[in-house]
Amino acid sequence: MTIRLRDLAACFDGVIPSIIATAAHDGTPNISYLSHVQLVDDEHVALSNQFFSKTAANVQANPAAALLVVDARNGEQYRLDVRFERSVESGELFEEMAVQLRAASAQIGMADIMRLRGIDIYRVGAIRHVPSPKEAVDFLPAENPLLSATAEIVRRISQETEIGAIIDAALDGLRDELCHAYSMALLMDPAGERLVTIGSRGYDRTGIGSEVAIGDGLIGLAAAERRPIRVSDMSRVRRFGSAIRISAVEAAEENRTRTIQLPGLPEAMSQMALPMVAHGLLRGILFVESPKRFAFTREDQAALAIIAAQAAGAIVLAESEAVEAAAAMAIPLTSPGRQFQVIHHPYDDSVFIENEYIIKGVAGRLLVHLLRLYLREGRTEFTNREIRFAPELRLPDYKDNLETRLLLLRRRLEDKATPIQLIHVGRGRISLAVAGAPVLNNESG
Amino acid sequence: MRLDQDLASFMGSPVMIILGTSDDALQPEIGRGVGALVWPEKGQVELVISAWQWPGTLANVRANGRLSVTFARPSDYVSYQVKGRACVVPATKDHLARAAAYIDAVGAVLAELGLGRDIAAPWLVNRDPAVLSLSVESVFVQTPGAKAGQMLQGGS
Repeated sequence: MTIRLRDLAACFDGVIPSIIATAAHDGTPNISYLSHVQLVDDEHVALSNQFFSKTAANVQANPAAALLVVDARNGEQYRLDVRFERSVESGELFEEMAVQLRAASAQIGMADIMRLRGIDIYRVGAIRHVPSPKEAVDFLPAENPLLSATAEIVRRISQETEIGAIIDAALDGLRDELCHAYSMALLMDPAGERLVTIGSRGYDRTGIGSEVAIGDGLIGLAAAERRPIRVSDMSRVRRFGSAIRISAVEAAEENRTRTIQLPGLPEAMSQMALPMVAHGLLRGILFVESPKRFAFTREDQAALAIIAAQAAGAIVLAESEAVEAAAAMAIPLTSPGRQFQVIHHPYDDSVFIENEYIIKGVAGRLLVHLLRLYLREGRTEFTNREIRFAPELRLPDYKDNLETRLLLLRRRLEDKATPIQLIHVGRGRISLAVAGAPVLNNESG
Repeated sequence: MRLDQDLASFMGSPVMIILGTSDDALQPEIGRGVGALVWPEKGQVELVISAWQWPGTLANVRANGRLSVTFARPSDYVSYQVKGRACVVPATKDHLARAAAYIDAVGAVLAELGLGRDIAAPWLVNRDPAVLSLSVESVFVQTPGAKAGQMLQGGS
């Protein structure tokens, strides 16, 4: 049976090093391990060229080479006849390999050593399965249900009109349809310096409101580069994100640092981060991880790329459509109940409710603003429009961020089960549900 | 060419052994070794290879003797390549014992790195063993980094 290059996708995950043999013009062979081989199309592979200089010299003189690639799932080996075609030092494929290499090598502390100089494109000829002591080998992937599962998730996303529901549809879909048990969605902070976690699945805490700086870790790198990143074996990998792991001391730690910790699997072996891009702008990152080695294939990456793009487009639509509805007539009832303290620290706009850290920054300012209106005028319903134009909020001049900020605030309040909750009552409208009598204090520390 | 004692010890330790040859039309071929016996004074390395799994490598060595071998430590990628002329010799009891011990030891090293014996089995085959006896003519550093490809010993 003829083996097609695409059947060998599992060999190109960078988990088990490939091998290349070349021969100089005098016939002297050279044999070397390769860090990255990438599938280009049905007839080509690309090899990263960092430093294998004898190989590079040999293929200039004699383009014939042999490649041995290994299926990471079962160790089976495939021998490829390849022929050097050309070197590439820029372009989409180069950038894609450069970022993969950077992610992999930064994690083993070899970022500078492994800088990609160029990629070499080889045409693939005959492919042979190397005899194996194992019994029958099934190199053809089983029928792939990914496409229909992806279509179902995309369908669910397309039903939603509000950002929170879009994110939920994506994360629930990843879990239910594609068995990604651990996932996060982070949206771009409109100021452009960091990402904020807006939803997650599978972790012992949601981490809503936690932040990742652009360029930091796998998630930050995928954002900085706007490219998907997939790591299949993190066994020697430095853990990304915060080194501080918190459990019982979570709330105390948050109260002290006013920083929410990113959730994460301490034992993650595979991770994948997909940029959510729409209208050419980065909107966020979709992230999945797994405790299993090489849990994610190239096909999984493609599926998530579709979902990330769909979610990004839906979010942009939701942002632009969530406008300017008139205030509703209904006035939600609020119970008088017991008093509780809300403390606002104006220097960073952090807000504590009953001594629990809730949020800071623009979202904190928003919460205090709504609470002041509630206390002063007894109002519980607000439109995005009036919030957007409230001068005391000093909202940064970004057109499309209010929905995201309100969503973050709403989810964080839910997460902390505070007596103040924000309720989405329709496009461009929110209401405040207050259980009890808040006492708002400003503190200068 | 006399081989450095440290290098000889490295080649005899549980490291991955990959073999490069080429036919007379300059088409390269890849194979794997399963154990090496090293005689540093003589500059000789004897490599056990499965004739069943790597017939092309064996045919190339028989045809022109050209052989290059890279030894790579799986835990930290430290690698050396030796090049020279080789011939095919019959496998002795010593070679077979060496191969069995090697497969066992390198299997344990890989398992420690998370690659179980079932995954590594296709790389560690000694069915139908043959031996390539290599006279080393040059030695190169192959560890990833600035020195990769640099010659350590020899001069061909």
